[in-house]
Amino acid sequence: MLEVINLSASAGCFVLNNVSLAVIPSACHVILGPTGSGKTLLLESVIGLRNPQGGRVVLEGQEITGLPIERRGLSYVPQDLALFPHMTVRENILYPIRIRGSNEDIENGIVRELVDSLGIRHILDRSVRNLSGGERQRTALARAVASGRKYLILDEPLSALHESLKKELWYLLKDLQRRYELAILMVTHDLEEAFFLGDTVSVILEGKLCQQGRKEDVYEHPSSVEVAGFLGIRNLFHVNRASVSADSLLMYCEDLGTTLTLPLSSLKSRSLETSSLALGIRSEEIAVLMPGELTPHVTNIIEGIVRDTFENGAFLTLIATGRGSSTSLETVLPRMVAKKLGLLRGSPVFLRLPEDSLFLVDIDSAGPFERLSS
Amino acid sequence: MSFKRISIACSVATFGVYAILILSLFYFFRRETLWDTLLSERTLFSIRLSIMAATISTLLSIVIAVPSAFALSRYDFLGKRAVDTILELPMIVSPAALGAMLLIFFNNPLGLWIQDHGPQFVFTFYGIVLAQFVTVAGVATRLIKAAMDEIPVRYEAVARTLGASPAQAFRTVTLPLSRRGIYAAAILSWAKALGEFGATITIAGSMSMKTETLPIAIFMRLSSAEIEGTVVLILILVSIGLSILYVVRFLSTGASYA
Repeated sequence: MLEVINLSASAGCFVLNNVSLAVIPSACHVILGPTGSGKTLLLESVIGLRNPQGGRVVLEGQEITGLPIERRGLSYVPQDLALFPHMTVRENILYPIRIRGSNEDIENGIVRELVDSLGIRHILDRSVRNLSGGERQRTALARAVASGRKYLILDEPLSALHESLKKELWYLLKDLQRRYELAILMVTHDLEEAFFLGDTVSVILEGKLCQQGRKEDVYEHPSSVEVAGFLGIRNLFHVNRASVSADSLLMYCEDLGTTLTLPLSSLKSRSLETSSLALGIRSEEIAVLMPGELTPHVTNIIEGIVRDTFENGAFLTLIATGRGSSTSLETVLPRMVAKKLGLLRGSPVFLRLPEDSLFLVDIDSAGPFERLSS
Repeated sequence: MSFKRISIACSVATFGVYAILILSLFYFFRRETLWDTLLSERTLFSIRLSIMAATISTLLSIVIAVPSAFALSRYDFLGKRAVDTILELPMIVSPAALGAMLLIFFNNPLGLWIQDHGPQFVFTFYGIVLAQFVTVAGVATRLIKAAMDEIPVRYEAVARTLGASPAQAFRTVTLPLSRRGIYAAAILSWAKALGEFGATITIAGSMSMKTETLPIAIFMRLSSAEIEGTVVLILILVSIGLSILYVVRFLSTGASYA
């Protein structure tokens, strides 16, 4: 296991504060954060390019914080890949083998398998200066895996690729991870990439690790307004009054002008008396009801008016406000469904906020929350 | 006149100044003097001496400059700024002053001890090499450092994560990538050493058939009013120098690490 324990580092006036995380063998841990949040600083401190100001890095029980880069047992692929420009693809891939003094050729063992599985046999004798973006990524991954190290550190290695090629490489990276039982610590600002590749995810904002856990938990239950905002959750509402009724939580949101019901388990370890809370729901979780679906036992219904619609390929983003409320709700639905429902600007609409899709987040600071809800 | 035209006119004018200087040599050029001067034992000795001294001083400079440039480019260490500044010394101090500094050093106790227990530098071939070395070592270091600064540090970091020691990363990645810069620095240093005069004459003197390098030979022929012979020697020096610069231009193109 690769453990980062209370790591602090700085670059200029930027400070990375007390970060702890763990990458378990054969798993992928993704550090997710916007540009300038300290992701690269964290990686550089882990691989030894920077000296941390505090904390430890432990690999399989052995502290490696003070070890030179080459003795840390971590393979690194930076954002620009750093393929050696004076070498061919073959020489780049064989570099970690040659540097150990071995005369193994490309046709031996793991390297042959790598070359074939990554589909780069036809470019082996090409200079790396003449490769396409995808070929460069494949070569960099082959070189990193050929080093025989089980821990791979990736710094946004796919950020420069276009969407279709990027997705192709996600599958390839997953395949490599499983085939060679690699543990990967990777940083990205791409939410889709993080939740596709990661087994566990950490969210880092302004040098602070805000949340980490299984990707499902981070996705479904952001821990704070800041994290929820970064994860693209637009529907966040201040909880003005909260109470417990039987096995449910009743949350009154002045923004929506209504009381919403949640399962009691949503409260987790929070206390209603001391917590300042907001209620969130992902746009894609809000259901638009057909008139026949409106029955008395269906809860959390908001009757509103369509304020705007935006087409986004196969989907339609719908902005609505509840009657008597100025706060907008955003929902996403298939374009065909929207067409069937005849949803146009000014149409009345019934939105259902399913109990299980609602989640509570802590309000640490008012700034971003105010911005999101307005 | 547009800015473009003005700037082109300036560059052509600069070329013109040097071209006129070179062409004016031919006013005193005599074909019969060319072969007499070129094939004379004294001239051939000067050419041989100049080439040998310039080659040795350049090799010594490069051997010192490569690791120095790497240290200045990659590491922070106590006194780095002082080292970086003093590299410019040969450019800010006149060559004659540099030679005088060497002469004064060899009259100090340490210098005298070196001369007593090692090679003689004053008025010898070693003196020529030393004068050329102090003139070009700083420039060579500065040029190689500039080449190494262009190479992203990430290459070395990645090489090390792949198992290379710092020395291996330097040998297999940094050195090959800065090869063009090192060649260019070596050739420019060699050309500068070949033409070095002030420091050389101050420490090694101007003894015919002993310490008479090409620039000193030019000075000596001019002093004795042998204009035609002087012109031939200048043309030899200019031909060697311009050929070298042409090679440097060729080597300096195409290095990019982006």
